[in-house]
Amino acid sequence: MNATTWNTQVPDGRAPARPQRVAGWLKGHERVATVIALLLLLLAVGAFVSDRFSGLTNLQNVYEQSVGLALVSLGQSAVILSGGIDLSVGSQISLLSVLTSGLIDGNAARVGPVVCAILCLGTLIGAANGLLTVWLRVHPLIVTLGTGAALQGLTLLYSSDAAGSVPATFEYFAYGRILGLPAGATATLIVFLLVAFFLRGTRPGRYLYAVGGDPNAATLLGLPTRRVLVSVYAFSGLCAATTALYVVSRFGVGQPYTGANYTLASITPVVIGGTMLAGGKGGVMGTLLGVYLMSLLNNLLNFMDISSHYQLVIQGVIVVIAVATFTGRRSHRA
Amino acid sequence: MLATEFRATPSAMSRRLTVPAHWLPRALREHAFALVAVVLLMVAGIAAPALFKPDNLANMALQFVPLGIVVVGQMLVILVRGLDLSVSSVMATSAVMATAFSGRDRDLFWIVPLAVGMGATVGLINGWLVTKRKVSPFLATLATMIVLQGARNAWTQGAPSGNVPPLLRTLGAGMTAGLPNNAVVLLLIAAFTFVLLHRSAFGRRIYLVGGSPEAARLVGIAVDRVTIVAYALSGMFATLAGLLLSGYVSVVDNWVGKNFELDSIVAAVIGGIALSGGKGGVAGALLGAVILVVLSNAVVIVGLPIHFQLVMKGFIIVLAAALYVAKSKGTR
Repeated sequence: MNATTWNTQVPDGRAPARPQRVAGWLKGHERVATVIALLLLLLAVGAFVSDRFSGLTNLQNVYEQSVGLALVSLGQSAVILSGGIDLSVGSQISLLSVLTSGLIDGNAARVGPVVCAILCLGTLIGAANGLLTVWLRVHPLIVTLGTGAALQGLTLLYSSDAAGSVPATFEYFAYGRILGLPAGATATLIVFLLVAFFLRGTRPGRYLYAVGGDPNAATLLGLPTRRVLVSVYAFSGLCAATTALYVVSRFGVGQPYTGANYTLASITPVVIGGTMLAGGKGGVMGTLLGVYLMSLLNNLLNFMDISSHYQLVIQGVIVVIAVATFTGRRSHRA
Repeated sequence: MLATEFRATPSAMSRRLTVPAHWLPRALREHAFALVAVVLLMVAGIAAPALFKPDNLANMALQFVPLGIVVVGQMLVILVRGLDLSVSSVMATSAVMATAFSGRDRDLFWIVPLAVGMGATVGLINGWLVTKRKVSPFLATLATMIVLQGARNAWTQGAPSGNVPPLLRTLGAGMTAGLPNNAVVLLLIAAFTFVLLHRSAFGRRIYLVGGSPEAARLVGIAVDRVTIVAYALSGMFATLAGLLLSGYVSVVDNWVGKNFELDSIVAAVIGGIALSGGKGGVAGALLGAVILVVLSNAVVIVGLPIHFQLVMKGFIIVLAAALYVAKSKGTR
């Protein structure tokens, strides 16, 4: 940003300053730039594969369908920024989606209370994860592996098959439009912007980075480390709950294994988006770009008629490549 | 992060110096959770006497062996501060491989080397990612698990078919004189691992790498190589367990060995294998597996719904890990 002020000797000022400004921005955002480049590459490849791929209708579909992954990855980003990991999001989504359609059971009058209850329940489950890590001093990896198993068990105890149904109006979250734009996806985008502002521009947001960077130092500085950690997991639970609502909204019913693939899927965009798994570095807008990248990729694979089995393979390979490429220089293990 | 949170144990060595000759109390402390679990088992045995009837014991023994084999491999990985989530996928893949040929015994000449090679390759990839690329163990193994799962599903088109060779069925499900045949494989693996850990220089290196990678590096140990070998062994053991399990279930689907990654970690934690690395042994791991199998069986015998098993395992792993963390903090 300083670069622009140095260029005052140029009469017009703007034209020569521009490349420098771009270069300066790139320096701090190599990863975001990489993701944007990859997005453009995908679009180019896609245009080659099918002329419908780069059409507005399809891109709008991708945007619309990215909501579920975006929301769960938002929570995961916050947890990873705090230096932890949440392996229970998949089971949370399974449990909460089955509960949503099971409790509503086609009754339009129950939609409001049930949605509120699900959001509260998700937050509580997340807070429980946070409290367990903080109280028991067990690594979040083990805590959420355990609670994830327990939640999956509870899901299957509640229903081992698709449960209940939702009224047609429930589809609005997944398919509704505002001014021609997908409502859910646009709301999600706004939420990301708000969270990004919260993290960068407010005191609790900065606490999160401090805690993730070095929890001991944060505690010594007098920051409420434990409260930050519990809030972060609670937020992840809330995000998982909204993902569950989206899934039910999109498919019309909750399934007991519907969340299974979300656990790894939610970590992928975070890593691609440049958030360090060790915590303390990164941001949510990178995650959102990662989400769009993964959604676009899946969409392209569908266009290329590649079976969902191979999509899973490709997703795993991408995670490995992303993590292996970007964390190779880290000195100590996580 | 993982390391700093789990750490905080004085080395076994220094504790031995401070508490000389009191092996029993130390053993009690080392296996605090195992003791709790044994008490639980007794309660379960009283609540449901059918649990310890000969028929059920034999059944549990058959179920115990594949888990025991996987736990021994999981233990090796945990000893070097890792975690292997890919074991269940390796098991299912080797089970699918077992049915990929004509279903006759002579196919085993192909099946076993191919499957073991597959398991070793997955292990090597895991180890390479963890050591050379510094990927966190859970993420590396989670990713290989997913890749393998996708590859398997793509290959079988979601519906594997074919028959398990009869010899594998005899080995995996048969009993001889009241003892399960598959125990032979477990015995071989346990003996091999025991000798490896406690009677070889390589075993000392594993403990040293797990106890302190920096120190191990400074005394000239090839930390990366030791770690990679641990992952490769875990992959190979998981393969053998998968083959035995394919013989046990005899109708193979894409999910043979489902949840074994969780089960093996739970069993290892119950058995006192410290997730911080460098602490634990074969006996503890197998004891943990025994306890887990009996508890899971008790859930069914007592009449609770089967999915309650998953809930129980989830609680056990968190509780057990918490107990060990609290214990190591207390004795410092």
